[in-house]
Amino acid sequence: MRLLSYMGQWKSAAKEVLDRTAIVAKFLCLLHVTNNYLCSPTLVYGPSMLPTLNLTGDVVLAEHVSHRIGKVGRGDLVLVRSPVDPRRILTKRVVGMEGDTVCFYVDPMYSQTTVVPKGHVWIQGDNTYASSDSRHFGPLPYGLIQGKVFFRVWPPDGFGTLEQ
Amino acid sequence: MVGLIGRLWNLPYKSIVKEASGKTLAVTKFFCVLHITNTYLCTFALAYGPSMIPTFNLTGDMFLAERLSIKFGKVGPGDIVLLRSPESPRKVMVKRLLGLESHSVTYVVDPMNSDRCDTIVVPKGHVWVEGDNIYNSRDSRQFGPVPYSLLEGRVFCKIWPPKEFGSLMKSGMKDPDL
Repeated sequence: MRLLSYMGQWKSAAKEVLDRTAIVAKFLCLLHVTNNYLCSPTLVYGPSMLPTLNLTGDVVLAEHVSHRIGKVGRGDLVLVRSPVDPRRILTKRVVGMEGDTVCFYVDPMYSQTTVVPKGHVWIQGDNTYASSDSRHFGPLPYGLIQGKVFFRVWPPDGFGTLEQ
Repeated sequence: MVGLIGRLWNLPYKSIVKEASGKTLAVTKFFCVLHITNTYLCTFALAYGPSMIPTFNLTGDMFLAERLSIKFGKVGPGDIVLLRSPESPRKVMVKRLLGLESHSVTYVVDPMNSDRCDTIVVPKGHVWVEGDNIYNSRDSRQFGPVPYSLLEGRVFCKIWPPKEFGSLMKSGMKDPDL
């Protein structure tokens, strides 16, 4: 008799746990969809985008709609997946689109010109002295672009849109 | 006329809206789950074209592709993979993976016209893909090694046509004379 009442309690407790878990799961689902398909905050750090972005880290908002509809162009700050290390995401500026002729300095004496092939983009960091970008690993397939950075949230004195 | 207006006025709008939004929410939740499954677990796709004959037909085969192996780095040479085309970012293509980073891959450069072979070491973070039908396939022999992040899934089971239903062999079939 006691056993039956315990089972009844467990049943209702389990049901409540499941309901709460379902709510949390739905919230995480929505957060995930927003992060991947709309807009997400990202922490970016490193010297390759000075002076636009700081060395020690900025929190920026990146939108994930433009690259799916083909609205990424020259001068945009983009998040790309590194072609050298698939687990890293880099922040660089798009300098050339497919079909553009790009002229870059391999070293201070010697410059080279390449045409960006179809389906690729040429990306460079704003701080060309300390950036590993298309000058080193070549043009990047467009499919590796993850999003476009449009707004800085942190630090507070850098709050606002980022220039082209 | 007056009766019609009277009936429209007396409709229980609040409960209609409530029921409609309840049903819409249920449908949204279902699509959400479907989307998450498609993107992170398993998806099915239709492939057509001559580049994977005889494994896949010219006119189109449907198959299941799973996404977990790619995320955990558990793909290897011989697997059939889904990848985003490096030349047309909106297209997804199906090819066979032949080499991972730092593997040395030997390939026939232009099988229609000559037997000349070339060997290349796949750079870090990239993979080498080729279609099974090397005579009519646009793959790494034309556009070079592909960054690993462009891989989207690993094909493991063919589901249409029904008489070819079943898991696909993991083979890197190449000409034994080479």
